[in-house]
Amino acid sequence: MTPNPLALIAEITHRCPLHCVYCSNSLQMIGVKSELSTDDWVRVFQQARSLGIVHLHLTGGEPVVRADLKDLVVAAHAVGLYTNLITSGIGLPEARLKTLVDAGLDHIQLSFQDSRAEPANWIAGTKAHAHKVIVSEVIRRFRIAFTVNLVVHRQNLDHLEEMIGFAEQLKPDRLEIAHAQYYGWALKNRDTLIPTREQLEDCLRIVEVAQERLSGRMRIDCVVPDYYARYPKACMGGWGRRLVLIDPSGQVLPCHAAGVIPGMTFDNVREHSLEWIWGESAAFQRFRGEQWMPEPCRSCERRAEDFGGCRCQAFLLTGDASATDPVCTLAPTHHLIESAQLASGDAGQPSWSYRTNPE
Amino acid sequence: MARPADSSQPRFAAGCRWGTQGEERVVLFPEGIIRVQGTGLNILELCDGQRTVQEIVSALSEKFSGADPLKIREDVGSFLEALQQKRIVDY
Repeated sequence: MTPNPLALIAEITHRCPLHCVYCSNSLQMIGVKSELSTDDWVRVFQQARSLGIVHLHLTGGEPVVRADLKDLVVAAHAVGLYTNLITSGIGLPEARLKTLVDAGLDHIQLSFQDSRAEPANWIAGTKAHAHKVIVSEVIRRFRIAFTVNLVVHRQNLDHLEEMIGFAEQLKPDRLEIAHAQYYGWALKNRDTLIPTREQLEDCLRIVEVAQERLSGRMRIDCVVPDYYARYPKACMGGWGRRLVLIDPSGQVLPCHAAGVIPGMTFDNVREHSLEWIWGESAAFQRFRGEQWMPEPCRSCERRAEDFGGCRCQAFLLTGDASATDPVCTLAPTHHLIESAQLASGDAGQPSWSYRTNPE
Repeated sequence: MARPADSSQPRFAAGCRWGTQGEERVVLFPEGIIRVQGTGLNILELCDGQRTVQEIVSALSEKFSGADPLKIREDVGSFLEALQQKRIVDY
């Protein structure tokens, strides 16, 4: 039986004032002329709720660049979705935030690139850091759940304790320490971003100490990179099992990166209902279940835990989306991960590919 | 943080609220959802930011006549403490 999805990630635009070197958007950005209309999104939210979805994540690009954001929050709240806004805070003055909170926004997630202004602006490709600190003060004036998101990688992990201290001062309810995930832009910049094994081990220890110290004050969730894991992650909880992502043009994907897999056709909410796309479309059935699995996954006792790992990572690193995720130490292509780990020791002067903006 | 005092007035933390999933009543919070049943549901329904822990215990003692109030106080305290650590309840 096909499980119901629990969360919808709505990339309502790819426009963004920041140019972060690890942006999760695809390399091929969708332009403003192709974006779904307000009515399209309202219909999608209703369909999402009927399908059993509880959590809605409004993201981008930068979601606040859409002038109809308040209407989208009203519509989501009306059907009972728990609504989270994932933002850089640029373009979100107090009056606008108030209209969103009044409209029923439940949770706001503000991203920071670093605790220090200079490297933060270097990563974002723009001077946004000081403004974000001001936005965090504004957010705390409202009774709304507040998460600070810190993306970590080789260039900032050496001062992780300082970054946690910085986040503490912003007084969020929750801190998300997210290791860059190596797809899209982050994959382009992987050799400069991938942490060393020592950094990762230090990170896990530091996070554990901070979780203990801050228990009951600030919840800390840490999303670890899987390059150093023994087994792959159950990406998105398994293909087409928990999450659904809709890009600005209405294409429905099982994750942020699936668009890179060649030969896939992703159906669009302009032509089909979300229920049909989730349950019936070829794309969502492609890697659902176990039929597609190669060995060693097919006979592996962990196959119902990690679902063979990430299909996009398998394609990006091996050229075959049906291969065992090379992160797995049992994968025949695991040497590809070992060589990426070795590259993390190179200390050359970083040169970035900054995220560009759509037409 | 310690367990709630008798005079504490527990309520949902910011951004945590009741919701529904199908027919079920659930608690929604950032990145999560919990199904609350039985005693937990009875306790949480009384946490409106007005009632004190003592009043919640009295209300439950009345509802479940025969139950030991000390045991109820213990259950309420440990339940609320666990939710406070998850940042779902404030007191």
